[in-house]
Amino acid sequence: MGYDPSADVIEVMRHPPRGPVAGTYRIFGETLRGLKTTFARVVEGPHTIQYPEEKTPVYPRFRGRHKLHRFEDTGLEKCVGCSLCAAACPADCIRVVAAENTPENRVSAGERYAAVYEINLSRCIFCGYCEVACPFDAITMGHDYELSDYTRSDLIFTKEMLLAEPIERTPLRVPGE
Amino acid sequence: MPRPEQKLIKLTIDGREIEAVEGTMLVDAAKQGDVEIPYFCYERRLGQPVGACRMCLVEIEGIPKLQTSCSTGVRDGMVVHTQTERVHEAQNAIVEFLLVNHPLDCPVCDKGGECPLQDISFGWGLGRTRVVEPKRHFQKPLALSPLIAIDRERCILCYRCVRFSQEIAEDWQLIFADRGSHTFVSTHDGHPYVAPFSGNIVELCPVGALTSQPYRFRARPWDIEGAGGVCTLCPAQCNVEFTVRDEKVVRVLIREHDGVDDGWLCDKGRFAYQAIHVDERITRPLVRDGGQLRPVSWERAFETAAEIARHQGRTAALVGGGASNEEAFLLQRLLREGLYSHDIDSRPGGALPLELARTLAAPALQASVPDLEFAHTVLVLGTEPLDEIPILDLRIRKGVRRNGVKLAIASPRPSALDPNAAVSLRYAPDGEAAFLSALEAALGHASSGSGDDVASLAELLRSGGEDVVIVYGESLAPAALESLVRIARLLGLEGRDGAGLLGVPASANGRGVREAGALPNAGPGYAELGAPRGRDAAAIAAAAAGGELSALYLLEVDPVRELPDRAAWEAALHHAGLVIAHASVLTDGLRDHATVIFPAESHAEKEGTVVHPDGRLQRLRAAIAHPGEVRAGWSVIAELARRCGHDLGVLTSSMAFRQLVAAVPFYAGITLEQIGGRGVRWPERPEAAALPAGGGSAQTPGAAAGTVQPAAAGQTNGHLRLGTYRSIWAAPEVEISPALHYTIAEQLVELSPADARRLEVGDGDEVLVGSGGTRLRGRAAVRTGVPEGTAFLATGIAQASANHLTEPLVEVRRA
Repeated sequence: MGYDPSADVIEVMRHPPRGPVAGTYRIFGETLRGLKTTFARVVEGPHTIQYPEEKTPVYPRFRGRHKLHRFEDTGLEKCVGCSLCAAACPADCIRVVAAENTPENRVSAGERYAAVYEINLSRCIFCGYCEVACPFDAITMGHDYELSDYTRSDLIFTKEMLLAEPIERTPLRVPGE
Repeated sequence: MPRPEQKLIKLTIDGREIEAVEGTMLVDAAKQGDVEIPYFCYERRLGQPVGACRMCLVEIEGIPKLQTSCSTGVRDGMVVHTQTERVHEAQNAIVEFLLVNHPLDCPVCDKGGECPLQDISFGWGLGRTRVVEPKRHFQKPLALSPLIAIDRERCILCYRCVRFSQEIAEDWQLIFADRGSHTFVSTHDGHPYVAPFSGNIVELCPVGALTSQPYRFRARPWDIEGAGGVCTLCPAQCNVEFTVRDEKVVRVLIREHDGVDDGWLCDKGRFAYQAIHVDERITRPLVRDGGQLRPVSWERAFETAAEIARHQGRTAALVGGGASNEEAFLLQRLLREGLYSHDIDSRPGGALPLELARTLAAPALQASVPDLEFAHTVLVLGTEPLDEIPILDLRIRKGVRRNGVKLAIASPRPSALDPNAAVSLRYAPDGEAAFLSALEAALGHASSGSGDDVASLAELLRSGGEDVVIVYGESLAPAALESLVRIARLLGLEGRDGAGLLGVPASANGRGVREAGALPNAGPGYAELGAPRGRDAAAIAAAAAGGELSALYLLEVDPVRELPDRAAWEAALHHAGLVIAHASVLTDGLRDHATVIFPAESHAEKEGTVVHPDGRLQRLRAAIAHPGEVRAGWSVIAELARRCGHDLGVLTSSMAFRQLVAAVPFYAGITLEQIGGRGVRWPERPEAAALPAGGGSAQTPGAAAGTVQPAAAGQTNGHLRLGTYRSIWAAPEVEISPALHYTIAEQLVELSPADARRLEVGDGDEVLVGSGGTRLRGRAAVRTGVPEGTAFLATGIAQASANHLTEPLVEVRRA
């Protein structure tokens, strides 16, 4: 049996034709209603944020660039190099190579530590799964969002970069703001 | 024992009707029927179950209490439930008990992600803990051996490792020490667990208690890829899986194949992968320039090597080690077609007459590896399986232990299998021909009744049962092999299923390279050559030293190290104008004499085929990319041949394989796809008939007239007969593997207690061994099994190898 091209044509529904009064209202009335909002903002003054001198404050749970943490008392790294963050990462942007702590070179609290810990931030989608997966709260999502750079390779953050405090703190939004 | 008959029965598990072989355990039957029952302690390969972990409890109708399915055999009409409330409650309780003392340090544990305890706790556990009490603590981690770390806190006392040590490897080293919750795995007196198969317990451990030291913290299961391959470090050619991370092999696991390895792996195969990624490995072509080997470009290396074209008719080649069939085949084509020479050999002990070689390769006389397990009698002749083909040692032990195989051993040197043997006898180091003709004579007589060893061996072979498998070493002299064939025919092994001969070659792919034509007197497929026969290894050495040969091609072999008579080979390499080698380690002979060295591939990089001693063609697959500037061996030979003006017409490794199949009649029709991951045994295929028959070796009863006393002390004038052995660890790959440094073989001179007393040498003393002006320094090892009047020296080692000595008698004295 041949195919009938007109068989599945659906009738297009159109609005009923408008009269002259309705047409005139649509041209002027609706436009003025919109302009009311515009002029009301003019009175309020400018809302421009003078970036980069001034930064947008972020919410406390904003998921920016990752941070690795140390224990405050001993200074040892919290990360034991278990690679669970790499397993959880949907963008496959984390690379962990573990090594063993020795008495002379104690880096973390457990038997193993992350000898290499790299996050490729050009691939990261900032989903925060790494933070959820981490059994030691060693990695958290920070508030830093200024991540542009001139080369892709500079966006691969090493362990030292992730452990260091960001140079400039991102302001947090205060409650009620 | 012949293979047991398999009777199928029907049973019901969770309402599914399942067919299973009678006698299998319920867990295995359930697995076949797609019902999952959790377990820790059960492992089919370990033999009898112990029911230690209690994880596999199921409800069986008609039995009031829950039963462990790992130790309950299936019966016809059995009705089993695995999903009832009682079973779930029991499983939850068991997981809870196992976790009472388990530290749950999964993030740092190497097993994390591939841990049965994690999986089962997740799948069958309660999901929360009620334990608030402190856990049992041990010091952790301890080194159980240089290769294995033990963390006793994590142990769930499943007995797997202890059973492996006691019932599979039979080294009896591992035990459970202490009692109750303080029980831990240990050796008797806390010495390191050093054994040739120790690495298997790492893979057996269902938790992270036993972990591999070299793999410690290297990678997580989601960081790695598995790549199937074949280990070509010894003739056993075990099937392995390479664990690859970032193009580096970081671990070797088993890839169970009943026909090859039975799911075990020796420590050489498991840990010598490290030789792939060490600085000592040659990864760039080297050319001798002003007396020094220097790294050069491939172009320059090929230019230098192409000089070989000027040595037409005066070139010889040796093939050894892990060379694949294709490489050997292409090299013999280059040599025979391009350079008009038949001087190619792969057999250190000298070439066999062609007829004999064909007879020994004949399908009718081949035994397969599983036959060792089900034969009535196994005779190990002139070889030490533990050193030469380690995995067969485990296979023979399994047969003796589980199936009542009667084991006989006839060798010059005491064997590790002696305690398992019904008959074990020694003959003089070069007395195999005399011994075998005596055995032949004893077999010919009706039961003579005389009490000597040979007669009792003959009695065992004759009346122990029809299925006899003879495992023989390549070191046997041609005359001995002739009588071996006659003995096999006397015993009716020819054409008998489950019986026959199993030859253990000296090099990993010895059988394959010979079938590919790396023999002086035979072409590919043992084809008859024209009138000019080539020289064998010893003759090549003599001819090269004498100036008749001017170029040598060494394919993955260093004759100075590997072959007998080191002095002759040093002279040969010294006089040869051009020495081309494929090598991955710079051994002595190559360092001093090679003109061009092409970096050789490791077994994890090679594409090609190899042949197992029982005739199974197996396929090597590239698991990792070539490191450095390494190129495929077949492509190097093909390129060199092209530059010599003789294009072999090979552009890919599969083209080389197709050429090989076309040239070897008994491989006809085999494709790489057929070989796949499991291999194809060519003697089982109908095309095997294409192997030219090896003519009936004539009966020579006259030779066997004199009864020869094995290991009889002759006129030795206070000197000792020289026997040699090659340790499992005597390989360049082992020497450069950091994890195996503790095994590096030194010269251990094995002496009998009587000789040691006479020479006033104690165990562990430094001794000097000399003959004909050569002196070797070694350490004495006094072993009770060594026959009086013989000293055994290690060969194949880097320092003071026994191939310095050529005389049959040596003088041993204290250093």
